[in-house]
Amino acid sequence: MKINKLLIAALLAVYILVPVLLGGDAYVMSLVIASLIIGGIALSWALLGNLGGMVSFGHAAFFGVGAYTSAVLSMQYGLPIFLGLLMGGVGAVLSAVLMLPVLRLRGPYFALAILAYAHIFRILATEWESVTGGSAGIASIPQLPTVFGYDFASKTGNYLVILTIVLVFAWIYDRIRRSPHGLALRAMHDSEDATRVVGVNNTLLKALMLLVSAFMCGVVGAFNAHYINFLEPDYAFSALWVTIPIVAAIFGGYRTITGPLVGAVVVYLVDQLFVKNIMPTGHQLVLGLVLVVMIIASPDGLLGLFRKFMRKKDAAA
Amino acid sequence: MTDLILQAVYSGLLQGGSYALIALGLALVFGAMKVINLAHGELVLLAAYIAYTVESKLGWNPIMAIPAAVIIVTITSALLYFVVGKIKTNREINSLTLTYGVGVILTNLVLMIWSADVRATSSSWMQEAFVVGELYSMRSEVLFFGVSIVLIVALWWWLSRSWYGRAVRAVSSNRDAAKLMGINPGKTELVSFIVAGILAAFAGVALFSYGVITPAYGGVLTVKAFIITVLAGIGSIPGVLIGAVLLGIAESLTVTLASSALQELAGMGLFLLVLFVMPNGLFGAARRRG
Repeated sequence: MKINKLLIAALLAVYILVPVLLGGDAYVMSLVIASLIIGGIALSWALLGNLGGMVSFGHAAFFGVGAYTSAVLSMQYGLPIFLGLLMGGVGAVLSAVLMLPVLRLRGPYFALAILAYAHIFRILATEWESVTGGSAGIASIPQLPTVFGYDFASKTGNYLVILTIVLVFAWIYDRIRRSPHGLALRAMHDSEDATRVVGVNNTLLKALMLLVSAFMCGVVGAFNAHYINFLEPDYAFSALWVTIPIVAAIFGGYRTITGPLVGAVVVYLVDQLFVKNIMPTGHQLVLGLVLVVMIIASPDGLLGLFRKFMRKKDAAA
Repeated sequence: MTDLILQAVYSGLLQGGSYALIALGLALVFGAMKVINLAHGELVLLAAYIAYTVESKLGWNPIMAIPAAVIIVTITSALLYFVVGKIKTNREINSLTLTYGVGVILTNLVLMIWSADVRATSSSWMQEAFVVGELYSMRSEVLFFGVSIVLIVALWWWLSRSWYGRAVRAVSSNRDAAKLMGINPGKTELVSFIVAGILAAFAGVALFSYGVITPAYGGVLTVKAFIITVLAGIGSIPGVLIGAVLLGIAESLTVTLASSALQELAGMGLFLLVLFVMPNGLFGAARRRG
């Protein structure tokens, strides 16, 4: 029960202490919100990588489709915004359904095919002008509403919403991992053939993971659209929405649930506060460098490295 | 209308030459090392920007950039091999993320050195019209199509006749058996990266000589090369050439008949079609489905 107490303490800290201590500083809050957005994408990416065994370079597609779905539905059809966030996830799921044939491809082919797919959605968003506004984009997307007198459009309100989204996703991820399906998915890592022999429907499970991951990424994309109130194809489908989360997930350790979230906060803050000041153009170069170094030194992330270190110390003692 | 279509087919055919060089490099490395090099398009881009520098700083014809481009891109490609070789576990998946990271590094290096501006050749010799009957093209397009064909034939000769070329094929088809025959797989993999680098260098100079380049173009090129290998199937050089020409034609027809913005969608459409109808590619024997 020690863990539960710790969890409650942590929850109280993020829900109450962070807004109380940092809520007054709009700049700090915007950094925190942005890193949670990155964390949400990183979590959805890591879920697909860890449970589905698939490396995706196409998550920008889910992010962008989610953003556009919610923006268009709330602006043109007057959908309540919190419902719009959910529909953003549904939109991303639909775009992922279109990707399902790619699942028939093996490892590296899957990764490249999904990268190619992401391009399609960017082009569609640019060309389908009547709905998406084309390359000019959509301006003045409505902010989060005021509910029961609480203004969710404020920095603290936005923070509470994205925090809840990310925590709920982490909880769902954990539930999936602990379920019998999670066991089957982990067994699939070792041998796809063996799991198939004992009656696991590999393709179905992988497809479900893709859909869950797409849903999460779509909701985060939708939130982002209402948070910054503006969308254009090059922004919504930017490769950045893939690069930073991948770096974050790999940095923190994509086989864990906390890893991608911790990684997102660290990587995003370091990138924004230090690297961007030193080199205004091309600061992503450092992200690429971190990725390369992490893959070579410790593909299981810093948490993995830490654990390895502890084990060595135990062995020595 | 017919002459417009003929013209589009002709332009696409010429474009296919460089595409084939890029796709062959990607396929060669994948065959030898089972690594898909997501930074391959960026290697091509690097060569293109070297050509730009040679032209803008020295005032030379971009062709003169080929030696420098070959040296620099080949060294970069070889370095990439050593970095990929450092991966200890789960190489198939980890090499994807790693080469993706290298691609990000290269794109941003290009961005820092050459800025985000769109670049194209200003050499009038290159842009001179070259007319065959009713068909029009730039001189550079025909020139580099010829160069591509020569390189592809040379590659074919190298793979089928030379010791190292045959070693690359041996390692591709059965690594352990190749080892037993006294082939050093590490060395062979390095050779495949070097040859891919040489092909990428020529393709890069070609792309600059008849097209426009931007730092973001590298990723697009990797995707195109991948689409071509899907069209062609693994293990067939003529297949790659035909796949590349098909992609080139599909793109230029889309530009002629619809709009240039949809150019990339043409390749994707072709890709999806092949994926559904012939998942092993038009010419390939290897199985890609899992």
